[in-house]
Amino acid sequence: MAEEKKQCEVGGSSLSVDAMETHDVLEGAEPWEPIETKLVLGSFAVAIIVLLIGLWFVPTSILH
Amino acid sequence: MTDLSNRKWYTGMLTQEDWWAVWLGLGFFFLSLLNIWGIDLVGWITYPTKWVFNPPPGGKGDISKAFYALGAKYSLTAKDFYKGLGWWSVLWTYVIFGVATTIGAKCMKWNVKKFIGGWTIIFFLTIATWFIGHHAFFAATKVDWHKYGLNFALSLGGGASFILALIVGLIIGNFFKGLANYLTEAAKPEWYIKTAIVYLGAKLGYLPIKLAGFSHKLGNVASQLTFDLFFAGATATIVAYLIFWPGIYTISRKIFKLPRKTAAVLGSGISICGVSAAVATGGAVRAKPVVSIMVSALVVVWAVIELIVLPGFFTHVWPGTKDPLVGGAALGLSVKTDGADAAAGELLDTFLRSKIQTETNGQVVWPEGIITASAVMTKVWIDVFIGIWAFVLAMIWVYKVERRPGEYVPPSEIWHRFPKFVLGYFTAWLLLLAIFFGPGHSGAPEGAALLKSIKAGVVPVEKGMRKLFFMLTFISLGIITDFKKLKECQFGKMVWVYFVGLFLFIIPVAVIVAYLFHHGMQIPNIAAYVK
Repeated sequence: MAEEKKQCEVGGSSLSVDAMETHDVLEGAEPWEPIETKLVLGSFAVAIIVLLIGLWFVPTSILH
Repeated sequence: MTDLSNRKWYTGMLTQEDWWAVWLGLGFFFLSLLNIWGIDLVGWITYPTKWVFNPPPGGKGDISKAFYALGAKYSLTAKDFYKGLGWWSVLWTYVIFGVATTIGAKCMKWNVKKFIGGWTIIFFLTIATWFIGHHAFFAATKVDWHKYGLNFALSLGGGASFILALIVGLIIGNFFKGLANYLTEAAKPEWYIKTAIVYLGAKLGYLPIKLAGFSHKLGNVASQLTFDLFFAGATATIVAYLIFWPGIYTISRKIFKLPRKTAAVLGSGISICGVSAAVATGGAVRAKPVVSIMVSALVVVWAVIELIVLPGFFTHVWPGTKDPLVGGAALGLSVKTDGADAAAGELLDTFLRSKIQTETNGQVVWPEGIITASAVMTKVWIDVFIGIWAFVLAMIWVYKVERRPGEYVPPSEIWHRFPKFVLGYFTAWLLLLAIFFGPGHSGAPEGAALLKSIKAGVVPVEKGMRKLFFMLTFISLGIITDFKKLKECQFGKMVWVYFVGLFLFIIPVAVIVAYLFHHGMQIPNIAAYVK
């Protein structure tokens, strides 16, 4: 299996993908950690803040 | 990232595709401005018109005029010369752009011999599909059928050529693998579209000048509209992206149980600008290169599927002609490669303009390019955002997630990740706006002569060169898209993450955010000013 190579072409350049390595990156998920919760919630929170500011200030938003 | 720390701010100016889009784009744009001094060096660019085999008496569609040099129509100083070119303008365009792109290919250290061969085949295939797509049966809108002696036509406008180019490219890419492989050296959709986007910047800047030619008031409406798109696009992009990324990351981790780094790269690939974002994020979080490769391949294939599905959906299902700029902006937020997005925007533009003309029996005519601009504006902001987000993620990964002691993320990463072609887009747009508001006197009579000379130069760029590079993009996209890739390379789970993420999360959020910031924006009606 490890010897088996497959070719993936991306944007015209030929890149070699090891089948075993492909398996590696799809399996073995680490447990969810608090930093990930912070990252996700932080991103959503900033999105909501920017949304509210944007709706208020951008003249073409539905609030205007 | 430390191995890249010896890069200078100017690194890649002669060797990167991004920079070569700027040089090709701005080079011809600045040449066009020589028209201010009466020198027309861009009027040779070829352009198709609608044709039929047997034009009716007194009608239109003479096949001998199916291609002409745009200077024959717009030049102020060399009109007679360009009129004489006719179909020869195709050859002029081939040679001039062939030389320009080959210089770029040489600087980027591509195989020049293979590039010239590939360029030649792709260029003439492009011209052939452009020609066929402009047969009046495909392209003529309902109000024009009688001029070509037709009782029925598909009314696809210029969209027919784009669809045809994509189909031809896909046939080559999927059924003639040997030829597709030979053409890959010149099938560079990202390069072509980035160059077209610089020309689109010229189009955006030219819009007020064009409409001021109809009326002073229309010119100012158009300039205001471009500013509105600029601010609405920026805000919508930031909001959408900050929802997209954590959403896809959570879906990948919680539902599909993917490892952290794979989820991070997928989050960026599906959320932002596909290939570049996947590569940038892969580098930032130190994911195995195979992750970026897999995500990039998925991005390219899914973007083409979006390109096929979304313009038709936004035209015929929702929002249609009621909210055209919502559809355009939603495309920019949801189609994940620059090429497919701008191409989808152009398709939507032609579909909706054709539809509104048919719906109102010619009482409403929209100037071309505004819907495309709405699609590209959000995309451009997303591209700008890639560098910033890759930098933020790199810092979070280094300092928080993996806590790598002693490692440092230089702020210069933002510049190195910055999409340079955006500089060309904004330069062309803002320079023309500055001319319009400055010496052009906002379209008032005292600035009319200057604006007329600008028009003579810029139209060949924003119309001829932009459309040519769009066509090259469509055909190249098809050539490098191999649908079998979805089956190969053990994508399995990733294909499903992408499918669920894209259609059940990204596209709905994109439509909602686009609606919040673009609902009700109106495109000026120029029916009274055009034949």
